[in-house]
Amino acid sequence: MSATETPAAPGVYIGQRVPRKEDARLLTGKGVYVDDVSVAGMLHVAFHRSPIARGNIKSIDLSVAKQLPGVHAVLIAADLARYKVDMLSFFLAAPVVPVPVLAIDCVRYVGDPIAIIIAEDRYIAEDAAGLITVVYDEEDPVVTMDEAKTGALVHPQTDSNIAAATGTEDPDEELEALLNNAPHLETVEFKHQRIAQSPMETRGVVSAPQGAEELTIYLSCQGPQLNARWFAQAFGMPQTSIRVISKDVGGSFGLKGQPWREEVATVLASMLLKRPLKWIEDRLENLTSACQAREQEIKLRAAFDKEGNLIASHAEYSINNGAYPQGADSNIAVMMFIWGAHKLPKFDFYSRGWFTNTVGLSAYRGPWAIESLTREVLLDRAARKLGIDAVELRKRTLLRREDQPCTTNMGLELEDISPAECLDVLLTKVDVTAFRIEQAEARKQGRYLGLGIATYIEPTAGSTGIAVLISESAHIRIEPTGKISAVVSTHSQGHGTQTTMAQVVAETLGVKFDDVSIHEDDSSRGGYGSGAYGSRQAVAGGGACIGAAKLLVDKIKKAAAHLLNTTPENISMREGIITVSGDKPQSVTLRDLADIAYGEPERLPEGMEAGLEVQFRYRPPPITMTSAAHACIVEVDADTGFVKIKRWVSSEDCGVMINPSVVEGQIAGGLAQGIGSVLMEQVSFDARGNPTAVTYKDYMLPTIFDVPTFEYNHDASMPSKADGGFRGVGEGGCIVGPPTLVNAIADALAPFGEIKLEFPMTPTRLLAHIEGRPEIAEHAKPVVAPVPEPTVATTPTVAPVQNVFSPSAPQEQIAAPAAVQIDGNWKFVLSTPLGPQAFTGRMSTDGNNLTGVFIMNMDEAHFTGTFKGNHLVWDLKVTKPMKITLKYEAHIDGDKLLGKCKMGIFGTAKLVGERIP
Amino acid sequence: MKPAPFDYLAPSSIAEACQLLSEAGGGATILAGGQTLMPLLALRMSQPFILIDITRIAALKGVTRNAGITRIGPILRQNEAIADPTLAQAQPLIVTATRHVGHHQTRNRGTIGGSIALGEPAAELPATSVALGASLELTSTRGTRRIAAEEFYFGPYATALEPDELLTGIHVPEWQSGTVWMFREISQRPGDFGLVGLTGALTVKDGRIERAGIAWFGMGPTPIKARQVEAALLGQSINTLDPRALAELAIADTAPFDDHHASAEYRRTVGKRVFASALSETLNLRAAA
Repeated sequence: MSATETPAAPGVYIGQRVPRKEDARLLTGKGVYVDDVSVAGMLHVAFHRSPIARGNIKSIDLSVAKQLPGVHAVLIAADLARYKVDMLSFFLAAPVVPVPVLAIDCVRYVGDPIAIIIAEDRYIAEDAAGLITVVYDEEDPVVTMDEAKTGALVHPQTDSNIAAATGTEDPDEELEALLNNAPHLETVEFKHQRIAQSPMETRGVVSAPQGAEELTIYLSCQGPQLNARWFAQAFGMPQTSIRVISKDVGGSFGLKGQPWREEVATVLASMLLKRPLKWIEDRLENLTSACQAREQEIKLRAAFDKEGNLIASHAEYSINNGAYPQGADSNIAVMMFIWGAHKLPKFDFYSRGWFTNTVGLSAYRGPWAIESLTREVLLDRAARKLGIDAVELRKRTLLRREDQPCTTNMGLELEDISPAECLDVLLTKVDVTAFRIEQAEARKQGRYLGLGIATYIEPTAGSTGIAVLISESAHIRIEPTGKISAVVSTHSQGHGTQTTMAQVVAETLGVKFDDVSIHEDDSSRGGYGSGAYGSRQAVAGGGACIGAAKLLVDKIKKAAAHLLNTTPENISMREGIITVSGDKPQSVTLRDLADIAYGEPERLPEGMEAGLEVQFRYRPPPITMTSAAHACIVEVDADTGFVKIKRWVSSEDCGVMINPSVVEGQIAGGLAQGIGSVLMEQVSFDARGNPTAVTYKDYMLPTIFDVPTFEYNHDASMPSKADGGFRGVGEGGCIVGPPTLVNAIADALAPFGEIKLEFPMTPTRLLAHIEGRPEIAEHAKPVVAPVPEPTVATTPTVAPVQNVFSPSAPQEQIAAPAAVQIDGNWKFVLSTPLGPQAFTGRMSTDGNNLTGVFIMNMDEAHFTGTFKGNHLVWDLKVTKPMKITLKYEAHIDGDKLLGKCKMGIFGTAKLVGERIP
Repeated sequence: MKPAPFDYLAPSSIAEACQLLSEAGGGATILAGGQTLMPLLALRMSQPFILIDITRIAALKGVTRNAGITRIGPILRQNEAIADPTLAQAQPLIVTATRHVGHHQTRNRGTIGGSIALGEPAAELPATSVALGASLELTSTRGTRRIAAEEFYFGPYATALEPDELLTGIHVPEWQSGTVWMFREISQRPGDFGLVGLTGALTVKDGRIERAGIAWFGMGPTPIKARQVEAALLGQSINTLDPRALAELAIADTAPFDDHHASAEYRRTVGKRVFASALSETLNLRAAA
């Protein structure tokens, strides 16, 4: 920490370990989760799902199911077709391929919902689901990313299985030369297993139509406001007619950021039947049909000089998007943060997301976390090879506070990251030298101890570029009773925001914490906000509460000064008592003031509105960075391959803490998930795409026995630039946990050579490494389920898979092609890393010059360029989300336009255009 | 919890239960503690027409000792077994093994007989009954028969229990004084089924092994009796035993497989180590070399 800055001192409430307001309710079984909601006349929903991963539906027989007593309806896609629904990503963008609510004509993964059954109770609904007969033309599924690269198209209307891509395939020759000629080139390449988010409460919805035009939707979600907006936009209904209520939620971790197929089908069926409907996902459905995350492969190369300084690096990355991802993704954030905290002169990358016949991709706590795992493992390996201590190598390559502000080669503007400073603090808590002595002694006895260290930075409370994540709102009222109600656009799935936001409001207002209640469960109560997403609530929600409370303090002071014949500067408020300072001290209660404000507003200063209520919308800084360094010590049993975590120390810069216990709870929860992903969790499929870990017997979650007691150090914390000085901590544990643990295991087993990066690191795998033999289980042929009968080749003939933005071949124009019509109106779709962007435009020509305009969101962007024949080239300068020149290149073929857009560091995006009248 | 429809019957006697089983003609499933069955019903992986709840049959409860045999009533709850003074005295290995079955909460409901009758190959109690030479009392309207636990298990969840039969007693021979017990389980998390498990008894008299009963769990499609090493141990002096040398023989009868949780090679390798260290510690030997 620099000499001029000091951490903020704790306040009356901010910074205190205040017990959580929620706990009495939640710990005594009095929480209200979706399954606790019952509405008069409510019916129950079950789904009939595909038992195969890929095939065409030849016929569906619902007749037997419909006749079962107690069944009210059995609906398939055609029955819901009267409603036009545009399934959207979390960012409210249209998907790359249309996502059907229920399967239409074909199924694309095991668990694909085909029919929705509505019955008196769930038992009958499940009985009926078992009475539906579907006949398929089964096809060979595309299960793995390797199969996606060469196999049949998952979505026949696409030109490849690439769901999304960023970066460029073309090697940068200068970069390649730097890598290949460097004194040391380190390469890390591995696959990360698929993970199920595994919230304790599964997905669920109760949808209750209120007349023909209004819907009340009880939803297990991450934020009622965003979900109400999602439904409104997807259904084309005014948002005010959709009310989303989400009182208590038992975990989400990214899974419930938005509604998906089953929730939407339930809501549509309730509209169709005009009856309230309930669907509660069971665990089998959750582990097979809820979206999943993390199935990735990465190759990272980094070149070092002899002193261990970074010269250049390149990353190649793929992520399995499944059949219907909640937003097709190639995960640009991996590339933004992989070297975001390091001194690295040159970096380039190529990322792709792949469609497969598996359940779709959704967010999971720290969706880009593989960057830290890859980098930190690479640094440790490079350190061992270069003969430089792993801590020293980090010190040489990490940016320090004094190196900032600076901009990374990925365009990230850094002001106050501090992983190096966190590492300094960490090293005062963990005696590395003493550990090395202990480790050497232990090895003599055949005991294998290891120390792992990792650092990371975490972007929190992002407020740039993504429209749904810009701001949060707080409405605060001093009620006529003198108590304080705050409606905040935060939302808790265990985050404790009803406590932390109350701490912020009580502190800023100067009232008792017990007098403040926070309401965040109902979209009809407050203003728009995204809820829990991207570690934003402390920063964005906290800032909104501060802003609103300050406005209210201002009004209270003016009103009180007027009533007490003094000036606002002489008024202060503490614990709800308003006091006049000076030689004639007097005081009134907030309740007294509220009586006047609501009951006798004529006594307020002239022009002041009646009541004591305000609202404020806060936009935090573009990104608030959190940093940390962690260390863990493990012992690996060389007889059994078991890993015992003996100690785990965290040192983080989490800014001003609202409630240290809540901060530590977030870190611990993320670390537990990180430990699970390293040691035991794995979603797996057989060769036919059947999930093979469908209960918690086979999908192994860490228990209290697997998670150690963590030691926390907040000494490196400095206030952020956001109002309140808070930083987010929601995802960090899940990001830094895996590399810390993997590095510790690698260190412990270093006498046996570098460990193979195979996840999860089961006892079987580690023991095979220790004994230097192949790990048999993993090389065994996967069990192949018998195929009913050989299928006739129903797969359309597919050209070799092409990269979506393969560079257009240079074409010599021999003669100007006849009648190339450029001038006129066009509509375009640009496939950006945030999802497809649709817009319209006009182009006109003059000689060989091209001028044009793109029109999107009532905004015009003008450009000029050139053309030759049907080949067009133009540049477009934009300032949002950052200053960048977009370089376009396109071909026109009749009324179609096909091209690409080079977006600087964000790689290249595909552009498709079509002439419109 | 949303099982497929079933009829629920709760007989109060063994005879009544057997009559119901007989009439059901294979369509009934016995409900005891329900710690395996209830999740299977909820997932609809199991869809019986009739559930026969035997927990109200008084004759199926209790632990008695008679003529060198401990008789365990099959519906004895696992936590009751752990606290049972008779079992603690006569069958300490059963108590130790039961402590490893599931979790405290599931042991409040789960029964000894339920675990033995189910035949999960990685479970603790089937292997322990095989190791101890227990015999199982099976009753139907056709009469009562006794079968050695060793001959009861055919494969995963496949046993000699006929569809009309009920497990009505577990008869465990009492091992004479001088018996030492061994129990080892390697599982990824406490409460999980074993990746590798060893359970057994050795009777030592005058410094020599007089009787040996050893079985594996998680090491094949059924509990596996380690016959070859049992034979090799008989008559051996505990002072000259070399546990490591016997380890290869100890796993000779096993047939482990690769599955989701561990490889066969892992189970064999760790099995040998588990055997050697268990034998050393149990006989209080100094590890060879």
